[in-house]
Amino acid sequence: MDEIMPSSFAGATPVRVLNRDQKLLQWISSVDHKQIGTMYLLLSILFLVIGGGEALLMRTQLAIPNNHFLSPEAYNQIFTMHGTTMVFLVAMPAIFGFGNYMVPLMIGANDMAFPRLNAFSFWMTLFGGGLLYFSFLAGGAPDAGWFNYAPLNEYNYSSRPGVDYFAIGLLIAGIGSVGGAINFIVTILYYRAKGMKLNQVPLFVWMIFVDSFLILAAFPCLNAALAMIEMDRQFHAHFFNSASGGSALLWQHLFWLFGHPEVYVAMLPSFGIFSEVFQTFSRKPIFSYAIIASSSVAIALLSFGVWVHHMFAVGLGNTVNGFFGAASMLIAIPTGIKVFSWMATMYGGSIRFSIPMMFAIAFLIQFTFGGLTGVLFAIVPIDWQLTDTYFVVAHFHYMFVGGAVFGLFAGLFYWFPKITGKMLDQKLGTWFFWLFTIGFNTTFLIQHVLGLIGMPRRVWTYPDLPGYGVMNFISTLGAFMMGTAALILIVAILKSLRSGVVAGKDPWDGVTLEWYCDPQPGRKNFDKIPLVRSRRPFWDLKHPENPDWKNARS
Amino acid sequence: MHISTLFLFQSVLHSASTQASEINKLFGQFTIAAVLLLLFVSLLIVYICIRFRDRPGSPLPEQIGKNNRLELLMFIFPVVTIAVLLVATLRTINRVMKPAEGQPDMIVTGHQWWWEVYYPATGVTAANEFHLPIHKNLLIEFHSADVVHDWWVPEFGNKMDVVPGRNNYIWLNITQPGNFIGACSEFCGAEHAWMRIKVFAEDETTFNRWQEANKKTANLPSDELSMKGMLMFQSRSCGTCHRISGTPSTASVGPDLSHLFSRSTMLSGMMPMNEKNLQAWISDPQNVKPDAKMPDFIFSRDTVNAIVHYLTQLK
Amino acid sequence: MNKMMIKMLVFTEVFFFLSLIMAYVYMVYYGDTRSAGEIKSLHISTTGFFTFILLSSSFTFYIAEKNYLKGNVKQLKIWLVITMILGAIFLFGQGNEYYHLIREQITLGASVFGTNFFTLTGFHGFHVFVGLVLLSILLTMSLLGDFNSNQSTVIQTVGIYWHFVDAVWIVVFTVVYVMPRFMDMKT
Ligand code: HEA
Ligand code: HEA
Ligand code: HEC
Ligand code: CUA
Ligand SMILES: [Cu+2]
Repeated sequence: MDEIMPSSFAGATPVRVLNRDQKLLQWISSVDHKQIGTMYLLLSILFLVIGGGEALLMRTQLAIPNNHFLSPEAYNQIFTMHGTTMVFLVAMPAIFGFGNYMVPLMIGANDMAFPRLNAFSFWMTLFGGGLLYFSFLAGGAPDAGWFNYAPLNEYNYSSRPGVDYFAIGLLIAGIGSVGGAINFIVTILYYRAKGMKLNQVPLFVWMIFVDSFLILAAFPCLNAALAMIEMDRQFHAHFFNSASGGSALLWQHLFWLFGHPEVYVAMLPSFGIFSEVFQTFSRKPIFSYAIIASSSVAIALLSFGVWVHHMFAVGLGNTVNGFFGAASMLIAIPTGIKVFSWMATMYGGSIRFSIPMMFAIAFLIQFTFGGLTGVLFAIVPIDWQLTDTYFVVAHFHYMFVGGAVFGLFAGLFYWFPKITGKMLDQKLGTWFFWLFTIGFNTTFLIQHVLGLIGMPRRVWTYPDLPGYGVMNFISTLGAFMMGTAALILIVAILKSLRSGVVAGKDPWDGVTLEWYCDPQPGRKNFDKIPLVRSRRPFWDLKHPENPDWKNARS
Repeated sequence: MHISTLFLFQSVLHSASTQASEINKLFGQFTIAAVLLLLFVSLLIVYICIRFRDRPGSPLPEQIGKNNRLELLMFIFPVVTIAVLLVATLRTINRVMKPAEGQPDMIVTGHQWWWEVYYPATGVTAANEFHLPIHKNLLIEFHSADVVHDWWVPEFGNKMDVVPGRNNYIWLNITQPGNFIGACSEFCGAEHAWMRIKVFAEDETTFNRWQEANKKTANLPSDELSMKGMLMFQSRSCGTCHRISGTPSTASVGPDLSHLFSRSTMLSGMMPMNEKNLQAWISDPQNVKPDAKMPDFIFSRDTVNAIVHYLTQLK
Repeated sequence: MNKMMIKMLVFTEVFFFLSLIMAYVYMVYYGDTRSAGEIKSLHISTTGFFTFILLSSSFTFYIAEKNYLKGNVKQLKIWLVITMILGAIFLFGQGNEYYHLIREQITLGASVFGTNFFTLTGFHGFHVFVGLVLLSILLTMSLLGDFNSNQSTVIQTVGIYWHFVDAVWIVVFTVVYVMPRFMDMKT
């Protein structure tokens, strides 16, 4: 007894079929969530190539000891821009891209709540990123690291305009992110299909929801800090200059008050993508939906109480350090529950090893590993040893790349058919997966050892100490494997767009609403929509004999 | 041969101080636990992937999404692990970082991109290379002249940030004699890579001998060339940045040069200390260490030779 | 929906002001020793008066809103104008305070106190200014007859923002003007 009803109540956007032949102008002026989502994704890929290219330049410089391929100034600009690009211009746009495209489809809505705000957010991100990169032409890119510590970011130590571009660029992009986050929250609160309760939205939507609150709370701290540094640099204020009574540590507090939540901002949507992938490819409902959802709230709350773990070595005293060490360890609990839940989802299932699923499985192991090194840092005395070494670089690339970016890749393969109507080439995709995964582990596994044998991070070159040369060389090899893999991915995308297998409406046997609508919906997503009564409305439709709302155990 | 190949393989896991031993004990315990956990997770995943893979004709799995007992277990297991870790952590923190008391044995000041060293008890000033006695509880204090730096010698255990406006400290009790190398570990600008650290851990007598030698005022020029070098040094503004004891030069913008040639490396571990390297440095600092805070001087070869000759006598 | 949007905006702004206030407390209360003297240059009584003005503007807005819901558009316009005047008086008061401080050589670049004081109150003043712009838009809309039926949520939406700006000022006033009176600050 499935009621299908017109979807007109959801979304006030006009009913108009999207004309796919319209040109650039139509994209630029678009307020359609799918087009904006696509533009976000393209922006993210563009910056992935740029940020990845910067990574390859760095790895080339570091391949051998005492190398002079890059000058110190060039290296410092490149690593700063690499970190900043990857965090703000790859991870964030990718999240907003998938969120924009998928959230309305998954909750049965026709668009985001505020389509024009949505377009505004995108253009702010693009503009902020553009400004950041314009600095290369305007006398030097920022070169004080992605966390841009005071007083190195002050005028007397960085008199070139790089830091100004950093501050203004990130402020602008940050305003875009805040706008996007508000939009997500309102959309998810008010635009759900009839019958869909907040605890029935797909986990990806739930993660975007929590993520948006994180953004709203975290970004203003960064924005305040950026405003202050500009006050210092442009109007001779004294926030961070200790010589005139300011405080260098204030910057660190404010930055990490933003920075730590930000790493979970990058991670949560990938948790969401993986939750969808695990349940689809195990042909089972996600194990303990409620716990995965609520533990994300726990992570979000906790993430505002751990920022000092980036500052264990600044001398804040044992009580403060102990407190924040404890808080950081606590995050392992809600995160661990998630890892186990995904394993339990697979357990007893019927696992199809499609490419999204392969990324998901590799993620599970890599993420556990990176999480354990994270807990290692939360043990304050060990962090005193290892902070600011390559061990940290290894930790966060296991999280960012092995965790968040793997999630984005899984999402790309999973939703490519929905976005383009074509399957993403299976054979090239498999090559891409293996080459990238092996390259990734080659690059970053060995960096743990480099940290242990005493190599600090952010050095433009290093002396020829025992082991340094070999290990760095191996790391560089791995990076170039990833680079090759990325090229294969680009080829795969282009090839699939031109001559890929036509996907149809529901290529993966999905269970959520995005697979229920047309392969490539037009301006309006849904003409008709089933009454939602469970977390898997499309499953219910396909299995009228055993729908979820009759099954107490799912 | 490059200087640094002279050293043996180093690693944080090789403890050369009581502080490092404390930390490494914890490190070892955690590593065992973490490896077991990682093995458990990975093997279970492999097992699940083999056992539950989709075979042709496999039936639709049972649609289970909940199991309260399992969920409880998933919660309790990390909680217990974390509780144990936390207790161990708090204990070790307090053992490694005791409250500071008394006069510091050594005061280290970080500059872009070199280290100033001062021993309050004897008044000895040095730069870039650190001499420390073993088997003594040393209190080391850190100041910064500009940006944030960080003092780290892997074998000694905890590092410490050198933050402008704060006087941080660590306790250090070295248990092994020998040479140790470390590095500035907080990004501090262009030449952060070449702000390395070299520590000579010595027994009490050797250490005292070194202190005595460095308490003496700098050698006076002994021949004509070095006499000229000294004059050049004093007249060509070198003295506005450097200190050479017993001369009018007392600044600390650049490293103390009083006993320059008794050091084994120059420019914070960038290269061995020898005449050739000094020559290159004085002729064109910005070429040797780009962006270093010492300007290029346009000197004739003779002038450079004289200055270098004078400097090589400062032992 | 609009109301939810503005609530989220307020939510994020709270964190922005919290950051600035934290900086103020961290540096002025516990930092530079000169601050204690400079705080004495603040005019707590005149600013207290202007604080009262700003608070009453929240009240007058409330009346405007009530009248709107009752469909009393004329009253709405009147109370909107009064609210705007009160807001403008507050801004005038702030400018007056700035003028006096600057005459005493307390400026943004002069000291830690100046840095924090002008940044914090400046950002707040900017928000009041934005609020005034929004109010004038409301006024124009009501003059154009957009509010002749009481269905729109726009007024309540702006109201949430305006009340928020006032609430922030209460906190700022307490932290900047009132608390130091009761604290044993380093001098
Ligand atoms: C996506 C990004 C991401 C994620 C998810 C994490 C997750 C975690 N991080 Fe990481 N971290 C970064 C990105 C990330 N981090 C970045 C970018 C930096 C450096 C920034 C810079 O300096 O440039 C950093 C640095 C960093 C530091 C500072 C290091 C230093 O500079 O000295 C610390 C210290 O505590 C830390 C801790 C943690 C912890 C405890 C977690 C936890 O959330 C991990 C929880 C997960 C698990 C524990 C695994 C799964 C759990 C189980 C299987 C259950 C059983 C486990 C136990 C009982 C232990 N991180
Ligand atoms: C989401 C975040 C993210 C991602 C995905 C990555 C991806 C990578 N990172 Fe990055 N990294 C950071 C975030 C990230 N990083 C941050 C925050 C820092 C700290 C910065 C700081 O200290 O301030 C950092 C720092 C950092 C360092 C340390 C620098 C230092 O301390 O001196 C290194 C060194 O190996 C490194 C390497 C890499 C590599 C090899 C990849 C690879 O995975 C990249 C793979 C992708 C590609 C290779 C793209 C493919 C490109 C092409 C196909 C085009 C080729 C084009 C040309 C050759 C021009 N990163
Ligand atoms: C503007 C300040 C300044 C002036 C003037 C200056 N120096 Fe320097 N000097 C420095 C700084 C700073 C360093 C440390 C560079 C580094 O390692 O990054 C240094 C390093 C050195 C070193 C290496 C010391 C060591 O322990 O590694 C020598 C030798 C030296 N200077 C000699 C001279 C001579 C000779 C002159 C005059 C011709 C001179 N300096 C003028 C600032 C100055
Ligand atoms: Cu000093 Cu890095
Ligand atoms: Cu963190």
